[in-house]
Amino acid sequence: MREALRQNRNVVIVGLIGLGIFALLPLFGLSGFAYRTLTSMFLLIVTAQGWNLIGGYTGYAAFGNVAFFGLGAYATGILMYRHGWSFLPTILVGGLVAAGYAALIGLPVLRLRGHYFAIATLGVAEATREIVAWWTPVTDGAAGISLPFLKPITLAQNFFYYLALGMVIFGAFLTWFIIRRKLGYSWIAIRADEDAAKMLGINTTVSKVIAYALTAFLVGIAGSVYAYYNSFIAPEEVFKIDRTLQAILAVVLGGAGTIAGPIAGGVLFQLVSTFLIFSKPFGIDLGQFHVTIMGIFIVLVIIFTPRGVIDLVTRSAREARRVHADQAGGRRSTWTFLKDGARATRLILAQNRQQFKI
Amino acid sequence: MSRHLLRSVSIGVILALLIVACQPAAAPSGNQPSGQASDCKITFGAAVSLTGKTAKEGGYVKDGYELYKDEINKAGGFKVGDKQCLIDIKYYDDASDPDTSAQLTEKLVTEDKVDLLLGPYGTNPTFSASAVAEKYEIPMIEGGGAGVKIFDRGYKYIFGTLPAAPFYLRSVIDAVLAKDSSVKTVAILVENDGFSQEVATGAEEYAKEKGLEVVYKEQYPSNTQDVSSLITAVKAKNPDMILGAGHAADAILIMKGLKDQKVNAKAYAFSVGPTSPDFRKTLEKDADFVLGIGPWTEAMKFQGTDVFGTPQKFADMMRAKYGEENYKTVPYQAASAAAALLAYQKAIEAAGSTDPKAVREQLAQLDLQSFYGTIKFSPEGIIVKPMGVVQLNPDGKLYTVYPADAANGEFLYPAKAWDQR
Amino acid sequence: MSGILIGQSAINVLLLSGVLTIAALGFSIVWGVMNIINLVHGAAIMLGAYVTFIAFTFAGIDPFLTIPISMVLLFGLGYLIQRNIINYVMRAPMLTTFLLTFGLEIIIINLAQFFFKSDLRAITTGYSGSSLTLYADPAANSSIEVPYIKLGALIVALLLTLLTHLLMSRTRLGRAIRSTGMDKDAAQLTGARISTIYALTFAISAGLAGAAGSLIAMTQSFQPGFGGTYTLYAFVIVVLGGLGSVPAVFLGALAFSLITVLTGLWQPGLTQAAAFALLVIMLVVRPSGIAGKAFYQ
Repeated sequence: MREALRQNRNVVIVGLIGLGIFALLPLFGLSGFAYRTLTSMFLLIVTAQGWNLIGGYTGYAAFGNVAFFGLGAYATGILMYRHGWSFLPTILVGGLVAAGYAALIGLPVLRLRGHYFAIATLGVAEATREIVAWWTPVTDGAAGISLPFLKPITLAQNFFYYLALGMVIFGAFLTWFIIRRKLGYSWIAIRADEDAAKMLGINTTVSKVIAYALTAFLVGIAGSVYAYYNSFIAPEEVFKIDRTLQAILAVVLGGAGTIAGPIAGGVLFQLVSTFLIFSKPFGIDLGQFHVTIMGIFIVLVIIFTPRGVIDLVTRSAREARRVHADQAGGRRSTWTFLKDGARATRLILAQNRQQFKI
Repeated sequence: MSRHLLRSVSIGVILALLIVACQPAAAPSGNQPSGQASDCKITFGAAVSLTGKTAKEGGYVKDGYELYKDEINKAGGFKVGDKQCLIDIKYYDDASDPDTSAQLTEKLVTEDKVDLLLGPYGTNPTFSASAVAEKYEIPMIEGGGAGVKIFDRGYKYIFGTLPAAPFYLRSVIDAVLAKDSSVKTVAILVENDGFSQEVATGAEEYAKEKGLEVVYKEQYPSNTQDVSSLITAVKAKNPDMILGAGHAADAILIMKGLKDQKVNAKAYAFSVGPTSPDFRKTLEKDADFVLGIGPWTEAMKFQGTDVFGTPQKFADMMRAKYGEENYKTVPYQAASAAAALLAYQKAIEAAGSTDPKAVREQLAQLDLQSFYGTIKFSPEGIIVKPMGVVQLNPDGKLYTVYPADAANGEFLYPAKAWDQR
Repeated sequence: MSGILIGQSAINVLLLSGVLTIAALGFSIVWGVMNIINLVHGAAIMLGAYVTFIAFTFAGIDPFLTIPISMVLLFGLGYLIQRNIINYVMRAPMLTTFLLTFGLEIIIINLAQFFFKSDLRAITTGYSGSSLTLYADPAANSSIEVPYIKLGALIVALLLTLLTHLLMSRTRLGRAIRSTGMDKDAAQLTGARISTIYALTFAISAGLAGAAGSLIAMTQSFQPGFGGTYTLYAFVIVVLGGLGSVPAVFLGALAFSLITVLTGLWQPGLTQAAAFALLVIMLVVRPSGIAGKAFYQ
């Protein structure tokens, strides 16, 4: 463990500082809008962390994770609205319902690979949405469920903020805890070569189903919290395929198969999308083009940094350090270091662009 | 050294990102009406859909708000106490997404510090946005969400200028029965979304109450691209009246399907669609005889003391401002949006301030004659208002045919069979 | 069920499957040959619909005659998109290409929304909605109807499917595309210019999507966001029929139409759920589909 900490020292330090900042931020006064933006960001990160287990570590590109989000949301919705439960226990139920559902569908679906797995999970998610919308006696159908909200405002804001932040920490800890153990190694082995992993005596079915269930648990608890936070859920909203895609984008943006990836990617994604709605760079109103620009951003990220921004930053820094160490003493200043870093980044971006080209 | 550097750079980056995230964005850039003497200004906030799937209707809503703003500012603005206040509206685009709608409403309230809120378009965004309004106890009047569940939650600060969804198709049933009491059977096709389901359930209950037999009522998925088998099933039931509860695209698809399979009913009616200009444009002659509903049409004979006075005047002003070709028929969404601002005007003037609680109290007891008819809210906050029935006449125009006192055209009944047109 | 109901339903299945075959064909080829799940496909269908709309409304060209126009335009656009964007990720893992096409789809749809607005559009010709009565029972006020426009669309669709099949199986280009799909490195050794072949494959797929868009424009109303549903349908159809051949796509479309029409009669609220449930079962039980092969034939 000490060894692991040393290897990732920079990332751990940055992570702790980031955590500290986020934990203390509300003490300096946040507007309601900032609370909402950051709380939504934390929930996005949790769904991204969930996807990272099955998609990032195990290498199974799941495209139906929104089903777990929706089930978590509906578990909370139904229990609070129909059965008068208090909120906190419903989170656990939401997570467990989602995990159980994942295990159930995972058994057949996880036998598929590549595109086929992706499409099967997408199909499950779409079918789940339609059934929830149709099953009116239990779910109130397409009309959705409204929940009361927590009062007073400041209590609610801080409650959801810290709850969601706590879930992010839980997600990071869970990931960290598992990937240093046998289960984690089996996931990575499956990602590298599933048949070889099987030959080595790994029970791949069990490993994959556990990965999928844990994924669903994280996504499900995010859905539960969303339900109460937003105070309204409807099938077409909580089962919206965009939610899955946003989570995947966040992971890819930060770096798949790393602990920090979903967090960095989630922060970046939320910042960019929020920025695009409001900002008027150089006085130009992006107006109705903000969604288009988001699309361009996605395309550029995929082409130039397919391994994520963390990888880009650490590789640039490593390269700059190497160049830096070679240089004669006189030129070693912060400025030249940054310049070398920028040059290295440019080089890596150019390499990335050519990397998968035919 | 380099490690220190990396560390400080990282911290710097994180801090910078946080500052960007939490900083209020650039100051509101609403257009300042110039050349008018005024003592104060009232700012409204609205997150409407200008992109995404309801961009079209969101546009009507925004146009309605803007027309009202321009006209009232020309007339000197609102009279608050002894001051004349011009009004301004700050808009954001929620991209037809409820999460974004809530986020933007939160921004309007806590950062842009708008005085009062206007609603988005669409039932789901209205759900999310109104929850934020209620949380901060700031009134929101919306003219774009009619789901009864919006008003079922015991909220005190949300008001709607569209009648409740279950009432949408009732006047159609009344209109047809008034013309022909021998009608016996009804088929209802329902889109699988919350609003449409409320419409359909309301219509079904009312039809049964009136002694009609509902021979077919089924849901179809939102975004459906093919309804041929629903049409086949409907045809087998041979209903006298076909009702559709969905959105404009479905209504068009259903009409095309009915003609394809030569399904002849005595009346066709849709909750949403016929009043939208797109309906006639896309279906052309096949839109003839179709019935639609609206809380407001330009033919209705309302009279008020507001800047518009009559529905006809409002419609003319819409055409003058946005162009004849864009508003051949003025959709009720624009009128219900303008009516929201009108309700605010009267409530603010009665309260003598823009204090949210005082305005809310005045809204609750508002009873106002206007170009939009009577504006009066139920205890739940939804407008109490009969629906008018309109018909697409073979002469290419849209006439109001029911209730009789608002009618400006003859109700052509029954609809001609497809092969006799 | 009465005979008329069964007859009309059979007609519905047949008419639906024609358009769906064309809508899914290009998607299947790109998937089979390039190993890409192409989310731009629905956006290409949408553009095809707008080409027909514009040509019909402003130039008065009969919608059936606009099909070649939208095929050519979309062919060109597809070529450019593959050449300049998708070519950079041809060797990348599936997730990368998936997200890339997702981003492209967002861009195209939102630009279309800017240029065409989100008004609902449709094409109504003199012969829209007139239909051929196959059988009528005036006493029961019922009949079996075949709408001419959908019949025409079915014929065009079958014709294009046949042409695509011939192109893929009989021509040099088709052989080059197929061998590239089987093993791109081996194909390169034989002297084929892989990048050109990929670009042509993508262009053919987009051209077919354009034709699908033109056909769909005649039967329903549309606005810029409508194509996504067809991408989803294409998924299901390709999986049901199986990857790897043109006839398999037709079989898949037929199966899909059968499910939607049958569920539509019985419980229309669950049509998509039924299709997706069948998709999952099919994947698990027989991943290669009804008539799938290992590669494109």
